[in-house]
Amino acid sequence: MTLQTWLLFALVIFSIGLYAVLARRNLIAILIGIELMLNAANINFLAFNHFVTSDPAVGQIIVLFVIGLAAAEVSIALSIVLAVYRQRKAIDVQDLDELRG
Amino acid sequence: MTEGLTAMLGVTAPLIGFALALIFFRKKHDVAAAVSVFSGLISFFCMTGLLLTHGSEATTHVARWFTIGDVELTFGILLDGKTLIMGAVVALVTSCIQIYSLSYMAHDASKARFFAFLAFFEWSMLSLVYAANLLQLFIFWELVGLASFFLIGFWYEKPSAVRAAKKAFMMTRIGDVGLFIGLVLLFMATGSLDVLGINATFDAAGLPATIDKDRVEWIAMLLFIGVIGKSAQFPLHTWLPDAMEGPTPVSALLHSATMVAAGVFLVTRFHGVFLDAETTRVWMLAIATFTALLASTMAMVAKDMKRVLAFSSISQLGFMLIGLAAGSLFAGYFHLITHAFFKALLFLCAGSFIHALGTNDMIAMGRAGARKLRITSIGLVVGGAALAGIPPLAGFFSKEQILGAMHEGWQTGFKIAAMGAAFLTAYYTFRMVFLLLRPDANSRAVADEPAGAQHGGHGHDAHGAHATDAHDADAHGHDAHGEPLVIRAPIAVLAFFALIAGFFGDSIGHAIGIEHIHHPSFGEMLPAIGIALLGVALAWFDYGRSGAKQVGFLALVPPLETFFAKRWYLDELYHYLFVTPAIWIARLCFGAETRGFDKSADAVGTGVIAAGGSVARSHNGRLQLYVALAVLLIAGLTLWVGFEVSGGAR
Repeated sequence: MTLQTWLLFALVIFSIGLYAVLARRNLIAILIGIELMLNAANINFLAFNHFVTSDPAVGQIIVLFVIGLAAAEVSIALSIVLAVYRQRKAIDVQDLDELRG
Repeated sequence: MTEGLTAMLGVTAPLIGFALALIFFRKKHDVAAAVSVFSGLISFFCMTGLLLTHGSEATTHVARWFTIGDVELTFGILLDGKTLIMGAVVALVTSCIQIYSLSYMAHDASKARFFAFLAFFEWSMLSLVYAANLLQLFIFWELVGLASFFLIGFWYEKPSAVRAAKKAFMMTRIGDVGLFIGLVLLFMATGSLDVLGINATFDAAGLPATIDKDRVEWIAMLLFIGVIGKSAQFPLHTWLPDAMEGPTPVSALLHSATMVAAGVFLVTRFHGVFLDAETTRVWMLAIATFTALLASTMAMVAKDMKRVLAFSSISQLGFMLIGLAAGSLFAGYFHLITHAFFKALLFLCAGSFIHALGTNDMIAMGRAGARKLRITSIGLVVGGAALAGIPPLAGFFSKEQILGAMHEGWQTGFKIAAMGAAFLTAYYTFRMVFLLLRPDANSRAVADEPAGAQHGGHGHDAHGAHATDAHDADAHGHDAHGEPLVIRAPIAVLAFFALIAGFFGDSIGHAIGIEHIHHPSFGEMLPAIGIALLGVALAWFDYGRSGAKQVGFLALVPPLETFFAKRWYLDELYHYLFVTPAIWIARLCFGAETRGFDKSADAVGTGVIAAGGSVARSHNGRLQLYVALAVLLIAGLTLWVGFEVSGGAR
């Protein structure tokens, strides 16, 4: 298991997440995609931490922070999704185009 | 009270009257008029008192204004013969005209403004006359121009009056540029702004040692350009005939003692400078003689009474300058004084006729019974005789002095021309008198404007205050009460002075410091008397005798008559030469402004709006598209930076 393997693994997960964000129409699915992308980043941190730096603690601390942030982000995002659903009875992202210029 | 204080009071009283009338009594017309007349009278008494008590020496009363480097600028009054006589004449004429205006402008809607500006005019002119230094002189020179702008354009709701005021202001401004440069050169040459100091430098015999000849010529020429503008000499004379768009009392003031007199007064003030400039004097003589002839020919064919008088003013100003240019200070100054009296008188008579008969046309006036206005008719005859130079009236003596001043050989040609102008003066003056007082309904003369035309209130040029005259005439009836006391009295006073002023030549001469006044013998007077009487005789033959055709000898040569009546086409010429190109340039600038600068500035704005609009269309609210774009951009950026870095490392 080399560094390259881990980076490729993280790239695959990130790409799946990106695809979910770009292609899925369901807000929940998009949220899941974002989570995947965050975790791919976490894997990168841990991989670099393991193979490159001498001090093993730094990357792990950052990853813990990212996990905490992700939890907070998900809770806010879910509440937005719920609010959207209550107002419009739908969570299809194609219908949410109020931000157009 | 000391002399200085008296002079100060006399000069500033009109200013105070002006301020009071305009600031506090704008709506209380009668109070404003009273304040203005009262201030004029105060000024008149001060000036007369000074004239009678002051000795012959020149004194100044000055206060320091400010200092620049070594030059100390003062503000003050100069008391010498020229100042005192001119000041008294200005104050007297203004007072007469103000009193006259009490009736003439009685029903004007802006009477208060009128009287306030009359006082302002008087103040400017008195301050100009009393100015002790060049800067002060120039300031008040301009204020005189401003005051006449206000008064010519007094009936500002009338477009022709506005045009005339504009024309007067701009044409005199052309001359003022010359004057200003001349004054600066004069200051540089002498290092002094003090009038007395400058005169002391130049009055001594020969050229001043420190100033070279060319410089003196330049100074004199530039000063004379200012005079050309102000005193309406060729080629800047065309503003003066139009200036009659103002109320008639204004014309009386403007043509006699103020405004146009300022130019001639300037020449008398710095006569020493002009005496030292030989070449310029020849030019002055040529221009003044030509102007005198030119304006006389125009006056021969004009039918509008005020216009005839305006042309005669131009011509008489030419005469004054002829005298001054020929080297006689006394002749020019004397004619300035006598002319002030009889020209003011003639204009007041014209005003009285217009007021009573409701027309400016002399032929119509005569037929409508001008001769029934007794006092005015007498005033007209006296003023006319003085203007024509019939002895023993004022104009004869001064004009005789002017003709007598040209005794050097090279001046002969000019002298003959000036005599021709004097002949024409007598002719056109008595043409006016005969047309007014010996009307013949069956003659071939054609009136352009019937009597009473201005009473109806529908537009005519010379009398925009339709309301004024209409009301007045209706209120008083037509001819019987056409001459209230306030109109008769000033005419009588001025007629008195026009009668006697000629006999004061000696005192005037001594007061302005002329040692030897040439008293012509009867033989020398003969040509002057002869041409005046000849002119009158010809006028009698053409207009006066019973059965005269009343069309004048010029009718034998119709093209010439048209040429003169069209004022030698000079106005048209100036219009094509100067006004039209100016309008073109203005149009060009306007086009560059509206279509060039404005359009390009607008284009920047509209371009930004259009760009914004097209960009806004891509903001379609599709979140996923945004994200995709962001990802692509970041990926592209990353790749680019990566290549750059690796490329740099290579």
